[in-house]
Amino acid sequence: MDTVTVLLMGFISIMIVNNMVFSKFLGICPYLGVSGRIDMAFGMGCAVTFVITLSGALTWLIDYCVLQHLGLEVMRYVCFILVIAGAVQLVEMYVRKFFPAMYDSFGIFLPLITTNCAILGLCLFINLWGIDNLPEAVVLSIGAGLGFTLAICIMAGIRENLALADVPICLKGAPITLITAGILTLAFMGFAGMIR
Amino acid sequence: MANATDISISKTFIAGLWEENPVLRLLLGMCPTLAVTAAVKPALTMGCSVIFVLICSNIVVSLMRNLLKPHLRILMFTLTIATFVTIADLFLKAYVPDMSETLGPYIPLIIVNCIIICRAEACASQNGLVVSVIDAIGMGLGFTGTLCVLAGIRELLATGKVFEIVVFAARDPVTNEGWFTPWAAMGMPVGAFVTLGLLLGLVNLITKKQA
Amino acid sequence: MGKHIKFFLEQSWLLLVASVFFGICLAGLNAWWEPKIIANEIKKFNDLAGGLLTEAEKFEPAEVLTIDIGKGKTVDTQVKKAVSGGDVVGWAFIAEGAGFQDKIKLVVAVDKQFNKLRGFGVLSSNETPGFGDKIKTGDFYRNQFIGAPCEEFTLSKVGDDKKIDSEIVAVTGATVTSESVVKILNNFISQVKAQMKEKGYI
Repeated sequence: MDTVTVLLMGFISIMIVNNMVFSKFLGICPYLGVSGRIDMAFGMGCAVTFVITLSGALTWLIDYCVLQHLGLEVMRYVCFILVIAGAVQLVEMYVRKFFPAMYDSFGIFLPLITTNCAILGLCLFINLWGIDNLPEAVVLSIGAGLGFTLAICIMAGIRENLALADVPICLKGAPITLITAGILTLAFMGFAGMIR
Repeated sequence: MANATDISISKTFIAGLWEENPVLRLLLGMCPTLAVTAAVKPALTMGCSVIFVLICSNIVVSLMRNLLKPHLRILMFTLTIATFVTIADLFLKAYVPDMSETLGPYIPLIIVNCIIICRAEACASQNGLVVSVIDAIGMGLGFTGTLCVLAGIRELLATGKVFEIVVFAARDPVTNEGWFTPWAAMGMPVGAFVTLGLLLGLVNLITKKQA
Repeated sequence: MGKHIKFFLEQSWLLLVASVFFGICLAGLNAWWEPKIIANEIKKFNDLAGGLLTEAEKFEPAEVLTIDIGKGKTVDTQVKKAVSGGDVVGWAFIAEGAGFQDKIKLVVAVDKQFNKLRGFGVLSSNETPGFGDKIKTGDFYRNQFIGAPCEEFTLSKVGDDKKIDSEIVAVTGATVTSESVVKILNNFISQVKAQMKEKGYI
């Protein structure tokens, strides 16, 4: 029972309370870049969720089973980024070969994901929080991915409506998006402290 | 001929500072910009680490540019960058431990800072050593400068201090001395987003007046 | 087959050479700097604990204890003894637990008999600036623990913060953080005390 509670709490915590985008500033680049249209945003969110789950689990395994046993913590960053880059390439090739339709819809985002800080960030946070079992690492990864999707979709919805608004010219584009994001983080701050 | 290269070098340098300022113009490297700018000191540390990594990775990539295979290019870049980031991280841990603690995971996150990979791709893999280094310094200084300005504004409004030196005396709840009420929200994520948004708007306004 | 290997090497020799070279560089630098990094960590602990146990000359490792932090999780903590002129004057250890946003790590100092708390220092925390981080920056909250008895602490919103007892007044606007610290202290002090008693130290 304890395990289930921990997993559930961790999931909600990383998805809403400690949302990567709003409280840790991770994944801001795609968040600003692709959040123009809601379908694109959703595609990007799905791609990120997929890769983040894969790389979260893989990096945890490598870190816990190999690096910490051999005392090679110094190589952690190099290993993590190579795993992520490799995972992204593998996923891209696999999806292109077996699911061409899916590749057409979100394949273009895949190369971008390598430099998405949310993914490396999550791998580092999993390590920092001292997660010591695989299910928890996987659940946290999925939660982080869904949290990112949630954030980017909310933003895309707002931006679609914002296109109709009369924004001062010098604030058009990125500036107003950042300010909107700021107000959104205020809203998400309401969840803070809900789960400990 | 020598004159022409001089001009292009100084141009590359200046471009990084203002015309192609990575944060304000190209909108690159947003994550660290927002995350570490709650105070000037971590922002400056972050800026210096980025300059170091940028210069080193540009040198290495520029030296290897003729040996790179196209499809292994990105992998090579990330490997180089990750190595130098690890060096920077170890250095901070060894010599500036309290800053390393404040910045925490944002130092390793330099690896995925788009500025570095973008400069490796757009500049260093096509240009010679000198131009690459100058470009790295220009871009790095542009990034650090922006970070410090943003951090200065936020630190001043959030605590009344800049670089940990008191500028506005914060009001003491007991003695009622000082007049400034610290604006805690500026130190939180919302302050980062809104300040950067307004700063970008200001830059847009200035450019339009110049044009 | 040989052709494949040749093709593979042709494509990736640079990557392989670079990996080996960078690996050696990192290993060398790490070997050079690691003692310094470890020394820094020890110095930080000693500075914080030394500020609480002012009479201590040095801190020596005494025992590694396993503490249950709830929800089926445990952490190992190193208890160090504060030594002054050959005598044990107190104990210091690291306590950790969940805070408002992130993990809070505290250095806790107690006297020789585990009767009185000598105070705590914040090793690392990530609490809300201006509110929760007052446990680190302000003296109001921390001073209430200096000299308090090592028993179950309770948190109240109103009360006398000058009176040193097991009743702790919360930081305004940071009830959750104040609660977390009390919880961490209660959990660690009781368990460390029990385990140290078992091992015959007190």
